[in-house]
Amino acid sequence: MRQSDSHEISQLNELKIDVGALVFNAHYVLAGNLIMCEQMPIYGGYAGGLEETTIVDVATTINSFVMTQATWHLDGPVHVRWGITTAREALAVAGHAAMAIEANTNLMLGNQYYTMAGPCTVMCLLETAAQTMTDTASGREVLSGVAASKGVATNYTTGMEARMMAEVAHAVAGMETEKVNAILDKLISLYEKNYKTAPKGKPFEECYDVVKLVPTQEYIDVYSEAVKILTDLGLDYWTKK
Amino acid sequence: MTIPKALTVFDIYERAKSGAKFEEKEWDFKLIPQTATKLKKKYNIKMDKKTIIPTDKELINNLFKAGLEMLVECGVYCIDTNRVIKYTEEEIRESIKVAPTSVQYGEGKNARTLACRTYKDKRPPIIQGGPTGAPCSEDQFLAIHQSYAQEPLVDTIVDGVLQTIKGYDPVPNSPWEIAAVKSEAIMVRAAQDRAGRTGMGL
Repeated sequence: MRQSDSHEISQLNELKIDVGALVFNAHYVLAGNLIMCEQMPIYGGYAGGLEETTIVDVATTINSFVMTQATWHLDGPVHVRWGITTAREALAVAGHAAMAIEANTNLMLGNQYYTMAGPCTVMCLLETAAQTMTDTASGREVLSGVAASKGVATNYTTGMEARMMAEVAHAVAGMETEKVNAILDKLISLYEKNYKTAPKGKPFEECYDVVKLVPTQEYIDVYSEAVKILTDLGLDYWTKK
Repeated sequence: MTIPKALTVFDIYERAKSGAKFEEKEWDFKLIPQTATKLKKKYNIKMDKKTIIPTDKELINNLFKAGLEMLVECGVYCIDTNRVIKYTEEEIRESIKVAPTSVQYGEGKNARTLACRTYKDKRPPIIQGGPTGAPCSEDQFLAIHQSYAQEPLVDTIVDGVLQTIKGYDPVPNSPWEIAAVKSEAIMVRAAQDRAGRTGMGL
């Protein structure tokens, strides 16, 4: 690792830390490294509901810079029942916390992505798009993902999900908040009723030609289907090109 | 009156050893939820989950005030010493003031400038592509990460974790854990190089 790579410290839920984290934080500080301090507040966890979790998220975010001399904070509000960051409530916590910090400081913030559905599914790409819209339009500096299939299944992650994250970020940057909110409401409603039946998708080796390292035609078709939905909802990134 | 200074990890450690004793269960199940609820009421914070990004300036600022007050009032709990690390508001504000607003992420032509954005910014965020801690098998780890590094709009990599190392489970606090972490870094660098993105941040 170089000084110019991000060196991770994790806080614990909620507003907690262990001495071990402080020990390697001391090394990062003395080595002059970039430091990323991470924490994923739990909606429906210790803090409680929407407002309480957002208040704790703001406190936790600020704490990264006080406790660990972080360069940037990596957020990740997660839904207690679904274990994902793309649920409506998790996105609302993230959107509100980022705006509160953005309006009152110059701190640099990121958010991490855990979707319910897996690679090579339209649902996974729409979940990714919703979080990307939220993070980009609430002033965050880094989008970090995507851990598809909740980040627990082996090899259920590919570059195509990051392509969606990147393209939507470029599509949404600078868009009026009211328009973003209107699209988001419709977009989230397309997948939020499907958590119990969410498709697991396919592992990397079935999503890519692993020798040529190109996505399969099947995944390209799925991607195109997601792009069409997003275009119909009002993102003009793909039609402008 | 002393001039406030930003805290260091060494100040934090000393406070973790000398702060007030507290029961962890009391922290989790009483202090955190009760303080959050109290501040929600104090600042009259109401959120509508159909509005993902707030536009109400008063709500936005009250959320900040409540979060700041939560940090001052509760502090942070150290699970190893069972003590509370407390800060003053002045110390917190000083840490916010001295936090970086722009850094170089990575090296050379594939480095990116990580700089403060606003919600109205037409400049997109840094795209950190990768499995984000999701498990990857040893045989696919490099290829998976190369699939991210070769994406033109991906700026930096966030890596996954090796499920095994030489077939062994890299359990925490074992030599295999160190071997796995080193291999992850080596293979991410290789993936970046193979994608023609030498110098890309990790």
